[in-house]
Amino acid sequence: MTQTQQTQTRVLTCIQCGKCTGSCPEAGRTPFNIRMLMRKKQFQSVVEESIPWYCTSCGACTLRCPRDVKPSEVIIEMRSALVENGAIPVAIQKALENTFVQKNPWGRSRAKRGAWFEKLDIEVLHVSETESKRLLFTCCIQAYDPRCMVIPQNVAKILNKGGIEFGVLGEEEACCGNEIRRIGEVGLFDELKEENKTNFEEYGIQEIIALSPHCMNALKKEYGDLGIKIVHYTEVLAAMIKEGSIIPKGSFNKKVIYHDPCFLGKQNGIFDEPRSILNTIEGLEPLEFSRSRDNSMCCEGGGGRMFFEVEATYQRNAEVRVKEAVDKGAEVIATSCPFCVMTLEDPATEKGIAVKELSEILMEVL
Amino acid sequence: MSYALVVAEVRRGVFEERNLDAIGLCALMEKDISLLVTDNNNEMNQNPPSSPFGKEGLGGFSGEKLVNTIIKVKIEEALFLNPLNMVGVVKTMMDSKGKPDVIVFTHSSSGTELASYVAGYFDLPLITDVNGFDKERDVFFKSYYSDKIFGEFRKAAQGPFVITVRSGSFKEYAVEKTTPPVIETIEDFPIAEGRNFMEYVEEEKAEIDITKAEFLLSVGRGIGNKDEIPDYEKLADLLKATLSGSRPVIDKMWLPKARQVGTSGKTVKPKVYLAMGISGAFQHIAGMKDSDCIIAVNKDPEAPIFQYAHFGIIADIHKVRDKLLEVLKG
Amino acid sequence: MNLIVFTKRVPATQEEELRITGEGKAVDLSKVPFKVNDWDNYSVEEAVRIVEKTGGAVTAVSIGDAESDEVLRRAIAMGAKDGFLIETGDVLHDPGARATLIQNFLKKESVPFDAIFTGVQSEDDQFGAVGGILAAKLGLPFVSMVISIDAFESDHVIARRELEGGLQERVKVILPCVISIQTGINEPRYVSIMGVRKASKVERKVFKAADYQENMVSKIEAVKWVYPPKKGGATILSGELEGACKELLGILKEKGVYQ
Repeated sequence: MTQTQQTQTRVLTCIQCGKCTGSCPEAGRTPFNIRMLMRKKQFQSVVEESIPWYCTSCGACTLRCPRDVKPSEVIIEMRSALVENGAIPVAIQKALENTFVQKNPWGRSRAKRGAWFEKLDIEVLHVSETESKRLLFTCCIQAYDPRCMVIPQNVAKILNKGGIEFGVLGEEEACCGNEIRRIGEVGLFDELKEENKTNFEEYGIQEIIALSPHCMNALKKEYGDLGIKIVHYTEVLAAMIKEGSIIPKGSFNKKVIYHDPCFLGKQNGIFDEPRSILNTIEGLEPLEFSRSRDNSMCCEGGGGRMFFEVEATYQRNAEVRVKEAVDKGAEVIATSCPFCVMTLEDPATEKGIAVKELSEILMEVL
Repeated sequence: MSYALVVAEVRRGVFEERNLDAIGLCALMEKDISLLVTDNNNEMNQNPPSSPFGKEGLGGFSGEKLVNTIIKVKIEEALFLNPLNMVGVVKTMMDSKGKPDVIVFTHSSSGTELASYVAGYFDLPLITDVNGFDKERDVFFKSYYSDKIFGEFRKAAQGPFVITVRSGSFKEYAVEKTTPPVIETIEDFPIAEGRNFMEYVEEEKAEIDITKAEFLLSVGRGIGNKDEIPDYEKLADLLKATLSGSRPVIDKMWLPKARQVGTSGKTVKPKVYLAMGISGAFQHIAGMKDSDCIIAVNKDPEAPIFQYAHFGIIADIHKVRDKLLEVLKG
Repeated sequence: MNLIVFTKRVPATQEEELRITGEGKAVDLSKVPFKVNDWDNYSVEEAVRIVEKTGGAVTAVSIGDAESDEVLRRAIAMGAKDGFLIETGDVLHDPGARATLIQNFLKKESVPFDAIFTGVQSEDDQFGAVGGILAAKLGLPFVSMVISIDAFESDHVIARRELEGGLQERVKVILPCVISIQTGINEPRYVSIMGVRKASKVERKVFKAADYQENMVSKIEAVKWVYPPKKGGATILSGELEGACKELLGILKEKGVYQ
């Protein structure tokens, strides 16, 4: 059975219970109705072309679905059909073409992918030069965006401090393809995957520390069996703190509310490690959103939405999220995903509340 | 006698300023300059078929003394600026006057069209988009790879060659001669059938398309609140700029979605991008960094936008706006 | 309609810091990725759209090394019927030499066409001249900076040319002719990797440029490569606000966007 046939079979089992719509971050506020889309798919009726692009790929629908229809995967197939047809939003098209040429969706120079560690005061080795063959997988945003570049820099410093050896691929690293697959460009995803896999094999990579939950997700679940241990950096740091190889000495006297990234939390079950890191910091008062952990509200940065804005204007989830943080008395919103940092920071700055990536808080107290 | 021929671009009766760059290069090359120009003040132009040609002779060209000879061509401008006719004009002229050392066109839509056709027709060397000239070494500079590299070129064949000149490159070298120009006239050349001018069309302005604007005034979160928008609209009007905005401004619906610059909006490459109150988030920069000239106004000297800007003013944007309005209103 | 459309594989230099090597002898492009020339992408799309309406076929032609096959596969994925590669390892800077090569090729191979499409210019050399030279050599009408094709009839086209300052010119051009396409004329479709893979099954013909070099001499000499004058960071207009504002208006005037 082809994948399309499998999807169609799955879709036919949909009982239209509406749990997907109930959990969808786009439902009610945008024209996107995931339950109705599954209905349409059952009858193979026409779906308006702009609709599938609303999905943020947060995966809540797939988690909740009692019949294992995997609605978020059905969306990817709908997008795939549009991609193969060539009729996709210009901004998405640009992101795909950029990724094809420069191996990152912004079309920044591949040769500069290692720029983030060039001015670091510690030496960062190419992974081939390491004993451990432990790879720090950077992620496109964190390699290029000056705001997010501090994340790999911080983590590199912390690992170094804790005596964990690691290396990088530098300009050989290609986009992980997590969003590319979700945009529906299967062929391009395969190319990126093959390119990265070839490097993993060539350098005998034993372990990968992914800096972005999106990369971790792709490497862990969508690259097939690599025989490589793949973790998110918060898992490594939490363990290091537990073992005492790094000790947060300073205090951070602020109320900090933690936002679970979809690809770290609900899609990969990593809820406790980031929290345990925060909890060890003296003076830090942890707060929780009313919707947290596997019920966390998506920031709307994933699934290609980072590169593309839907037509409808509505109150963004990021704004809702920031508002709740303020209402709860938080002074800092902490998260551990570059996409979340970027989407949350905009409304947060406005409300006068800081958004900090976990490594940034940790750097302040180490 | 050796001379340089400058083919002037007169469009809708107006002598384009970029012609001065072509004249300037010839002056820099120390050539005797002949200016080939449509004589709009002729019978054919009394009743132009479908376009409002000017009737003031050489399109308001007042720099007669910048050249040694003016060759008036008795032909209406739309026929003159047609490459198929231009080769006939040049041939007629060369038959009577002899071959020039160099034929210089503007590097514009019509200039390059004419130059390439003339070069192909007469089998002449061609260097386009010239922005510099080293007289000693006899080399012309031309930009490569989106202006990141310049190539030095020289002709490698006998006889005349053809050049197009980048606007703004040589204007200052155009200086007045001591004697007034000799006026010559040419007429009687073949008019080609293969291509015919129909009409001028003004670009439709019905729907705003910020990607087509030459000058964008873009506002960001720094404007503070929606009530400030009308004053920026006023400023854009007075500057004849198109108003655009960064994502926060669009999100708040202070400006419509169609005016959003950035990866999640439109990617723009205007001649001038004037950013007011935009700090320069990554996604915004990606949508405008290829603009020819970026001017940033921001009160924060550390704002990332200054890393990409060619010019900057570090000041409160409302104060800058008000001062500009004041200056513009005189 | 039989349309020939030229497409070129060019280095994507926009984001790169380029290095000149051998004291100006060469520009190091070894680490630069390549892509289809932007103008050609629009040009292929336009040709394909016309043929979709009028019937007939688009033949994509590329001049370059074996790697240029990539842009031919792309053109086929977009809807071209055939792909011809005129293979050469040489970089032809002179647009006149390129045009002569094309002229010889079209004649020797008797490739039939109603119109030839080119991009206005290529991103690497920015000459913007091959279309015009080729047209003149072939004795055909030429129209460049085409931003819209309003009609494509059996014996003529009605095209709009982009002039400066938002002005356009509508012209009627008799077929056969050469048309140079400006970016923005359409929205080129996305070509997926799968699409390109499928297109790879269509055979592309390879011709050796060496077989078409009669009268092909370079009439210009590329002497040396140099870096353009440094721009540096932002020039801050400081001092009194009024002075800075006037300076700003001066810049706007100089850039030609404000009178």
